[in-house]
Amino acid sequence: MSAELIDPRGPRFGAAITSALSLTAFGIAVSAPGGFFTAYPLIVLLAVLFSWSVFSPKTHPYGLVFKKLVRPRLAAPSELEDSRPPQFAQKVGLGFALLGLVGFWFAPVLVAVSAGFIFFAAFLNAFFNFCLGCQMYLGLKRFGLVR
Amino acid sequence: MYLALGLLGLTLIAGIFYKVSTGSGRSIQRSQIIDLARLGAHQNGQPVTDPGKSATLLLFSTEYCGRCPAVRRSLAEIESRTEGVLHADVDLTDRIDVAAKFNISQTPTVFILNPKGEVTFRVSGVPKPGLIQQELTKLGIK
Repeated sequence: MSAELIDPRGPRFGAAITSALSLTAFGIAVSAPGGFFTAYPLIVLLAVLFSWSVFSPKTHPYGLVFKKLVRPRLAAPSELEDSRPPQFAQKVGLGFALLGLVGFWFAPVLVAVSAGFIFFAAFLNAFFNFCLGCQMYLGLKRFGLVR
Repeated sequence: MYLALGLLGLTLIAGIFYKVSTGSGRSIQRSQIIDLARLGAHQNGQPVTDPGKSATLLLFSTEYCGRCPAVRRSLAEIESRTEGVLHADVDLTDRIDVAAKFNISQTPTVFILNPKGEVTFRVSGVPKPGLIQQELTKLGIK
Protein backbone atom coordinates (compact mmCIF):
# COMPACT_ATOMS: atom_id res chain seq x y z
CA MET A 1 0.00 0.00 0.00
CA SER A 2 1.22 3.50 -0.75
CA ALA A 3 2.47 5.60 2.10
CA GLU A 4 0.31 8.68 1.96
CA LEU A 5 0.73 11.52 4.45
CA ILE A 6 -2.27 13.15 6.03
CA ASP A 7 -3.05 15.83 8.60
CA PRO A 8 -3.47 13.77 11.82
CA ARG A 9 -6.27 16.06 12.98
CA GLY A 10 -8.47 14.93 10.09
CA PRO A 11 -9.15 11.44 11.49
CA ARG A 12 -9.62 12.92 14.96
CA PHE A 13 -12.23 15.34 13.65
CA GLY A 14 -14.07 12.41 12.07
CA ALA A 15 -13.76 10.42 15.30
CA ALA A 16 -15.40 13.27 17.25
CA ILE A 17 -18.49 13.05 15.01
CA THR A 18 -18.42 9.24 15.18
CA SER A 19 -18.29 9.34 18.97
CA ALA A 20 -21.34 11.65 19.11
CA LEU A 21 -23.28 9.35 16.76
CA SER A 22 -22.31 6.18 18.59
CA LEU A 23 -23.02 7.57 22.07
CA THR A 24 -26.46 8.65 20.83
CA ALA A 25 -27.00 5.15 19.41
CA PHE A 26 -25.86 3.55 22.66
CA GLY A 27 -28.02 5.89 24.75
CA ILE A 28 -31.14 5.16 22.69
CA ALA A 29 -30.42 1.43 22.64
CA VAL A 30 -30.15 1.04 26.42
CA SER A 31 -32.73 3.62 27.57
CA ALA A 32 -36.13 2.70 26.28
CA PRO A 33 -37.86 -0.63 25.74
CA GLY A 34 -37.38 -1.52 22.11
CA GLY A 35 -34.42 0.85 22.02
CA PHE A 36 -32.34 -1.62 20.06
CA PHE A 37 -34.80 -1.21 17.20
CA THR A 38 -34.86 2.58 17.43
CA ALA A 39 -31.06 2.74 17.48
CA TYR A 40 -30.62 0.39 14.54
CA PRO A 41 -30.75 3.10 11.82
CA LEU A 42 -27.82 4.87 13.55
CA ILE A 43 -25.79 1.64 13.39
CA VAL A 44 -26.63 1.42 9.69
CA LEU A 45 -25.42 5.01 9.29
CA LEU A 46 -22.17 4.23 11.18
CA ALA A 47 -21.60 1.14 9.03
CA VAL A 48 -22.08 3.24 5.88
CA LEU A 49 -19.67 5.93 7.14
CA PHE A 50 -16.99 3.37 8.11
CA SER A 51 -17.37 1.54 4.77
CA TRP A 52 -16.98 4.87 3.02
CA SER A 53 -13.66 5.56 4.80
CA VAL A 54 -12.44 2.07 4.03
CA PHE A 55 -13.35 2.01 0.36
CA SER A 56 -13.12 5.64 -0.72
CA PRO A 57 -11.41 7.75 1.97
CA LYS A 58 -10.82 10.69 -0.36
CA THR A 59 -14.52 11.33 -1.00
CA HIS A 60 -15.64 10.87 2.62
CA PRO A 61 -17.90 13.69 3.90
CA TYR A 62 -15.91 13.99 7.18
CA GLY A 63 -12.76 14.59 5.14
CA LEU A 64 -14.44 17.15 2.90
CA VAL A 65 -15.92 19.05 5.86
CA PHE A 66 -12.53 18.98 7.59
CA LYS A 67 -10.78 20.27 4.49
CA LYS A 68 -13.32 22.99 3.69
CA LEU A 69 -14.37 24.23 7.11
CA VAL A 70 -12.00 23.06 9.84
CA ARG A 71 -8.46 23.00 8.53
CA PRO A 72 -8.50 26.61 7.23
CA ARG A 73 -9.17 27.67 10.83
CA LEU A 74 -6.33 25.65 12.33
CA ALA A 75 -2.61 26.34 12.33
CA ALA A 76 -0.48 24.24 9.99
CA PRO A 77 0.02 20.72 11.39
CA SER A 78 3.30 20.25 13.22
CA GLU A 79 3.71 16.84 11.64
CA LEU A 80 1.98 14.84 8.95
CA GLU A 81 1.13 11.22 9.64
CA ASP A 82 1.09 8.06 7.63
CA SER A 83 -2.44 7.21 6.57
CA ARG A 84 -2.10 3.45 7.10
CA PRO A 85 -2.77 3.15 10.86
CA PRO A 86 -5.88 5.41 10.78
CA GLN A 87 -7.04 3.53 7.69
CA PHE A 88 -6.63 0.29 9.57
CA ALA A 89 -8.54 1.79 12.51
CA GLN A 90 -11.45 2.52 10.17
CA LYS A 91 -11.53 -1.17 9.26
CA VAL A 92 -11.68 -2.07 12.94
CA GLY A 93 -14.56 0.42 13.29
CA LEU A 94 -16.30 -1.16 10.32
CA GLY A 95 -15.85 -4.56 11.94
CA PHE A 96 -17.68 -3.38 15.07
CA ALA A 97 -20.40 -1.66 13.03
CA LEU A 98 -20.96 -4.91 11.12
CA LEU A 99 -21.25 -6.73 14.45
CA GLY A 100 -24.25 -4.52 15.23
CA LEU A 101 -25.58 -4.45 11.67
CA VAL A 102 -25.67 -8.22 11.25
CA GLY A 103 -25.77 -9.31 14.89
CA PHE A 104 -29.00 -7.35 15.46
CA TRP A 105 -30.96 -9.95 13.50
CA PHE A 106 -29.75 -12.67 15.87
CA ALA A 107 -29.50 -10.80 19.16
CA PRO A 108 -30.75 -7.18 19.18
CA VAL A 109 -28.56 -6.38 22.21
CA LEU A 110 -25.54 -6.47 19.90
CA VAL A 111 -26.62 -3.04 18.65
CA ALA A 112 -25.70 -1.64 22.07
CA VAL A 113 -22.47 -3.66 22.25
CA SER A 114 -21.44 -2.44 18.82
CA ALA A 115 -22.28 1.22 19.57
CA GLY A 116 -20.48 0.96 22.93
CA PHE A 117 -17.23 -0.30 21.43
CA ILE A 118 -17.33 2.25 18.60
CA PHE A 119 -17.89 5.06 21.10
CA PHE A 120 -15.05 3.89 23.35
CA ALA A 121 -12.51 3.80 20.51
CA ALA A 122 -13.73 6.94 18.73
CA PHE A 123 -13.87 9.05 21.89
CA LEU A 124 -10.33 8.08 22.96
CA ASN A 125 -9.12 8.91 19.47
CA ALA A 126 -10.88 12.28 19.27
CA PHE A 127 -10.27 13.62 22.76
CA PHE A 128 -7.18 11.82 24.04
CA ASN A 129 -5.34 11.38 20.75
CA PHE A 130 -5.17 7.67 21.49
CA CYS A 131 -5.97 5.63 18.40
CA LEU A 132 -6.89 2.16 19.63
CA GLY A 133 -7.13 0.76 16.11
CA CYS A 134 -3.71 2.20 15.22
CA GLN A 135 -2.15 0.58 18.30
CA MET A 136 -3.75 -2.70 17.32
CA TYR A 137 -2.02 -2.45 13.94
CA LEU A 138 1.44 -3.23 15.33
CA GLY A 139 0.01 -5.62 17.90
CA LEU A 140 -1.86 -7.64 15.29
CA LYS A 141 1.10 -7.59 12.94
CA ARG A 142 3.10 -9.13 15.76
CA PHE A 143 0.69 -12.02 15.88
CA GLY A 144 0.69 -12.27 12.10
CA LEU A 145 -2.99 -11.42 11.79
CA VAL A 146 -2.52 -8.54 9.37
CA ARG A 147 0.06 -8.09 6.71
CA MET B 1 -29.44 6.71 30.36
CA TYR B 2 -27.35 5.68 33.37
CA LEU B 3 -25.63 3.07 31.24
CA ALA B 4 -24.71 5.74 28.69
CA LEU B 5 -23.27 7.93 31.45
CA GLY B 6 -21.42 4.88 32.77
CA LEU B 7 -19.92 4.25 29.35
CA LEU B 8 -18.86 7.90 29.09
CA GLY B 9 -17.29 7.72 32.57
CA LEU B 10 -15.47 4.48 31.81
CA THR B 11 -14.09 5.93 28.58
CA LEU B 12 -12.94 9.10 30.38
CA ILE B 13 -11.16 7.02 33.02
CA ALA B 14 -9.45 4.94 30.33
CA GLY B 15 -8.38 8.13 28.53
CA ILE B 16 -7.00 9.74 31.69
CA PHE B 17 -5.18 6.53 32.56
CA TYR B 18 -3.63 6.56 29.08
CA LYS B 19 -2.56 10.21 29.38
CA VAL B 20 -0.94 9.60 32.76
CA SER B 21 0.81 6.36 31.85
CA THR B 22 1.97 6.97 28.28
CA GLY B 23 5.52 8.19 27.88
CA SER B 24 6.35 7.83 31.58
CA GLY B 25 8.72 4.92 31.20
CA ARG B 26 10.09 2.48 33.74
CA SER B 27 13.45 1.24 34.95
CA ILE B 28 14.62 -2.19 33.89
CA GLN B 29 16.44 -4.16 36.58
CA ARG B 30 17.93 -7.01 34.66
CA SER B 31 18.53 -7.13 30.97
CA GLN B 32 20.55 -9.09 28.50
CA ILE B 33 23.10 -7.29 26.37
CA ILE B 34 21.49 -5.97 23.22
CA ASP B 35 23.31 -6.76 20.00
CA LEU B 36 22.82 -3.57 18.00
CA ALA B 37 24.19 -5.09 14.81
CA ARG B 38 21.75 -7.98 14.95
CA LEU B 39 18.83 -5.59 15.56
CA GLY B 40 19.80 -3.67 12.45
CA ALA B 41 20.20 -0.45 14.43
CA HIS B 42 21.14 2.50 12.31
CA GLN B 43 21.57 6.26 12.37
CA ASN B 44 20.50 8.08 9.19
CA GLY B 45 20.98 4.85 7.29
CA GLN B 46 24.46 4.13 8.67
CA PRO B 47 24.61 0.88 10.67
CA VAL B 48 25.29 1.27 14.40
CA THR B 49 27.08 -1.70 15.96
CA ASP B 50 28.66 -0.44 19.19
CA PRO B 51 26.82 1.21 22.09
CA GLY B 52 27.63 4.81 23.00
CA LYS B 53 30.43 5.49 25.51
CA SER B 54 28.06 6.63 28.22
CA ALA B 55 24.62 5.65 26.93
CA THR B 56 22.64 4.68 23.85
CA LEU B 57 19.15 5.97 23.08
CA LEU B 58 17.47 3.34 20.98
CA LEU B 59 14.28 4.33 19.16
CA PHE B 60 11.95 1.63 17.84
CA SER B 61 9.79 2.97 15.04
CA THR B 62 7.88 1.84 11.99
CA GLU B 63 7.45 3.36 8.56
CA TYR B 64 3.91 4.32 9.43
CA CYS B 65 4.59 5.69 12.93
CA GLY B 66 3.39 9.28 12.85
CA ARG B 67 4.94 10.51 16.07
CA CYS B 68 8.32 8.86 15.65
CA PRO B 69 10.08 11.56 13.57
CA ALA B 70 9.59 14.16 16.31
CA VAL B 71 10.98 11.75 18.92
CA ARG B 72 13.93 10.97 16.64
CA ARG B 73 14.72 14.69 16.39
CA SER B 74 14.63 15.14 20.14
CA LEU B 75 16.94 12.14 20.68
CA ALA B 76 19.34 13.47 18.05
CA GLU B 77 19.29 16.79 19.83
CA ILE B 78 20.19 15.15 23.17
CA GLU B 79 22.96 13.24 21.43
CA SER B 80 24.43 16.41 19.96
CA ARG B 81 24.68 18.20 23.28
CA THR B 82 25.62 15.26 25.53
CA GLU B 83 29.09 13.76 25.51
CA GLY B 84 29.22 10.02 24.85
CA VAL B 85 25.50 9.59 24.14
CA LEU B 86 24.59 7.87 20.90
CA HIS B 87 21.14 7.60 19.37
CA ALA B 88 20.10 4.85 16.99
CA ASP B 89 16.96 3.69 15.21
CA VAL B 90 15.45 0.26 14.82
CA ASP B 91 12.74 -0.04 12.17
CA LEU B 92 10.18 -2.64 13.22
CA THR B 93 8.15 -2.51 10.01
CA ASP B 94 9.57 -5.80 8.74
CA ARG B 95 11.06 -6.94 12.04
CA ILE B 96 8.02 -8.11 13.93
CA ASP B 97 10.28 -10.76 15.51
CA VAL B 98 12.15 -7.92 17.26
CA ALA B 99 8.89 -6.37 18.49
CA ALA B 100 7.83 -9.75 19.88
CA LYS B 101 11.21 -10.44 21.52
CA PHE B 102 11.26 -7.16 23.41
CA ASN B 103 7.51 -7.09 23.95
CA ILE B 104 7.05 -3.82 22.08
CA SER B 105 3.39 -3.24 21.34
CA GLN B 106 3.48 0.38 20.28
CA THR B 107 5.73 2.84 18.54
CA PRO B 108 7.54 4.98 19.42
CA THR B 109 9.29 2.95 22.10
CA VAL B 110 12.60 4.20 23.48
CA PHE B 111 15.24 2.14 25.31
CA ILE B 112 18.13 3.67 27.24
CA LEU B 113 21.14 1.34 27.15
CA ASN B 114 24.15 1.53 29.42
CA PRO B 115 27.70 1.40 27.95
CA LYS B 116 27.60 -2.41 28.10
CA GLY B 117 24.49 -2.40 25.94
CA GLU B 118 22.05 -3.47 28.66
CA VAL B 119 18.61 -1.86 28.83
CA THR B 120 18.26 0.28 31.95
CA PHE B 121 15.10 2.19 31.08
CA ARG B 122 12.26 1.91 28.59
CA VAL B 123 9.47 4.23 27.51
CA SER B 124 6.37 3.22 25.55
CA GLY B 125 4.80 6.08 23.63
CA VAL B 126 6.19 9.57 23.14
CA PRO B 127 8.48 10.25 26.13
CA LYS B 128 7.22 13.05 28.37
CA PRO B 129 9.25 16.25 27.86
CA GLY B 130 12.57 16.16 29.69
CA LEU B 131 12.18 12.52 30.75
CA ILE B 132 15.10 11.09 28.76
CA GLN B 133 17.39 13.92 29.87
CA GLN B 134 16.34 13.35 33.48
CA GLU B 135 17.11 9.62 33.26
CA LEU B 136 20.52 10.34 31.73
CA THR B 137 21.25 12.76 34.57
CA LYS B 138 20.35 10.02 37.06
CA LEU B 139 22.98 7.86 35.38
CA GLY B 140 25.50 10.64 35.96
CA ILE B 141 25.59 11.74 32.33
CA LYS B 142 25.48 15.47 31.69
